[in-house]
Amino acid sequence: MSLLSVQNLRTEFFSGGRWLEAVSDVSFDLRRGEILGLVGESGCGKSTIAYSIMRLLASNARISAGDVWLEDVNLTEADEATLQGLRGSRLSMIFQDPMTALDSLFTVGHQVIETLQEHLGLNVAEAREHALALLRQVGIPAAEERLNAYPYQFSGGMSQRIALAIAISCHPQVLIADEPTTALDVTIQAQILHLIRRLLVKEQGTGVLLITHDLGVVAQVCDRVAVMYAGKIVEFSDVASIFNNPLHPYTQALLKSLPSQGIARGSLENIQGRVPSLMDWPTGCHFHPRCIHARAICREKTPPLRKAAEGQVVACVLYE
Amino acid sequence: MNDGASPLLRAQGLSKYFPLESGMLASLRGARAAVKAVESVSLDVYAGQTLAIVGESGSGKSTLGRLLLRLMQPSAGHVQYKGENIFTMNRARLRAFRRQAQIILQDPYASLNPRMRVGRIIREPLDIYREGSVAEREKRVHALLERVGLTSAHGRAYPAELSGGQRQRVCIAAALALSPEIIIADEPTSSLDVSVQAQTLNLLSELQRDFNLTYVLITHDLGVVRHFSDRVAVMYLGKIVEEAPTATLFAAPQHPYTQVLFSAIPLPDPSRRINWELPTGEPPSPLDPPSGCHFHPRCPQALKSCSSVVPSLKATAPGRRVACLLYEDRNHLPPNAPSIVRTPSSNMDGRETS
Repeated sequence: MSLLSVQNLRTEFFSGGRWLEAVSDVSFDLRRGEILGLVGESGCGKSTIAYSIMRLLASNARISAGDVWLEDVNLTEADEATLQGLRGSRLSMIFQDPMTALDSLFTVGHQVIETLQEHLGLNVAEAREHALALLRQVGIPAAEERLNAYPYQFSGGMSQRIALAIAISCHPQVLIADEPTTALDVTIQAQILHLIRRLLVKEQGTGVLLITHDLGVVAQVCDRVAVMYAGKIVEFSDVASIFNNPLHPYTQALLKSLPSQGIARGSLENIQGRVPSLMDWPTGCHFHPRCIHARAICREKTPPLRKAAEGQVVACVLYE
Repeated sequence: MNDGASPLLRAQGLSKYFPLESGMLASLRGARAAVKAVESVSLDVYAGQTLAIVGESGSGKSTLGRLLLRLMQPSAGHVQYKGENIFTMNRARLRAFRRQAQIILQDPYASLNPRMRVGRIIREPLDIYREGSVAEREKRVHALLERVGLTSAHGRAYPAELSGGQRQRVCIAAALALSPEIIIADEPTSSLDVSVQAQTLNLLSELQRDFNLTYVLITHDLGVVRHFSDRVAVMYLGKIVEEAPTATLFAAPQHPYTQVLFSAIPLPDPSRRINWELPTGEPPSPLDPPSGCHFHPRCPQALKSCSSVVPSLKATAPGRRVACLLYEDRNHLPPNAPSIVRTPSSNMDGRETS
């Protein structure tokens, strides 16, 4: 059984007097001890999926269909008390901007210790001891002193380490990481990704849903990848297949538009047009207006995700 | 490298210090602490080429970009534009320089006036420099819009009505309005999605070809650097640590920092994964940079003398400079020091290949 199972999820936003679909019939499974990449450009709905799973949607958003199972708990139907119990313990999340996750008025130590007391039932002394061990684990030098520091005294990389330490402390089954390294420099990014892999995935068997727009990050750490375009998963494969044998025209175009992929200088291949907004998603396959392979049927019919090869599913009429 | 051609823009010994705590306590202490954002930077920018300045946050690359345009005064050193020091130019000369040197910034949302229509924004430089008649200016705006892939309908829109990629095109059109020779592009595609980034980079390439533009590209994105630039200067804590032609640098980075930086790039290729045994630690604060070579506390190849000797940028090959004791005269090296000449190999960046 998979750890987390998202089934036919549909999430909508209320805007301009009507409900607009932001996530459209999305299904996937997250396994124990894997990193699943959820990639796509801005506005494709990848963060909305994260907030839907956490049940942290804004008041103008709703889950209108589908289920999200965390093992035997249906998160879409769980009440607030149940969710409170799950969040932070079995289900954890880290964000792009680690500063927003920390309260600027309290010392870092206070916040880590508080979490440990709350979730692990430790007394202050035990929690403090445990917090020190955690800070050392995530590579914070002079941990003892740093416990008494305030978040503003931490760099972005250091804050993300604290957020990770808090996440790790509760042995979550699932970690949702929403662009966790986007705001960081590459050398720090590599360190943080390594920590996620080593301390959570390898040591604790946590399943990580890694949301990112960075295909380089995906190639480096993910086991499987879901590519999203305008609210839908268009391709879902193991990481090697996505990069070596991309099937969906959108995935193919996205990979070709990467500067480091191309030969030095020369023109980059690019996707004509722009990502459609939530207001006016195209009919049929959402990618058809920009697709070089589009046919008449693509405008009318929404292609379902189908198995196209071993370990590869794709939503495109080319493979039907 | 450039066959003795003289550079369009030349920085020499350029430094910028930002003083801290100017209050009473500081004056009592006598010495005023300062962030050395840019420290003794010398570099040449040649016409028609793209020089990339790369570095992580806090390395001083944006400050350097602003100094090159005299958008701030340096603490020391000077910048010559065609042999003339831009910091001693009088009003008229500076005005003439400013029309030749433009800037494009990272955030096209923040750099456009939200209350001005796009056409007006692009026309503004023409108005300021009183280029031609009003009708001619309008015609020029239309041509510029078309040149960057927009239409006159976009010209009537407000910035808020455009996407990020379109807004960056507006910024490019405005920068081009006065037909400049050089454009400083500070993270021009960092806020854009991959597919839009590709469109924008292609546009910048075409414009360079068509108008023989010179670019100084400031970025942390090494994929963009590799694709787009002719030469690269790598900065660490205010200093240039290495400078080389792009292909040479990527084939065999010499400075240990450049090597670390390159080895941390997440390549979009799952068969070439990062070797995770990367140096630990973060760049130190520019408030209190380490002695000697600023990189020595994190350097996997540091020698004893690295904590005391400040390495200077020295040529290691034509057009190639490195500031590292490993490449200096052998007197600094202990007997068992690593070989000075590193041979490039496919596994240079230490990645696991599978």
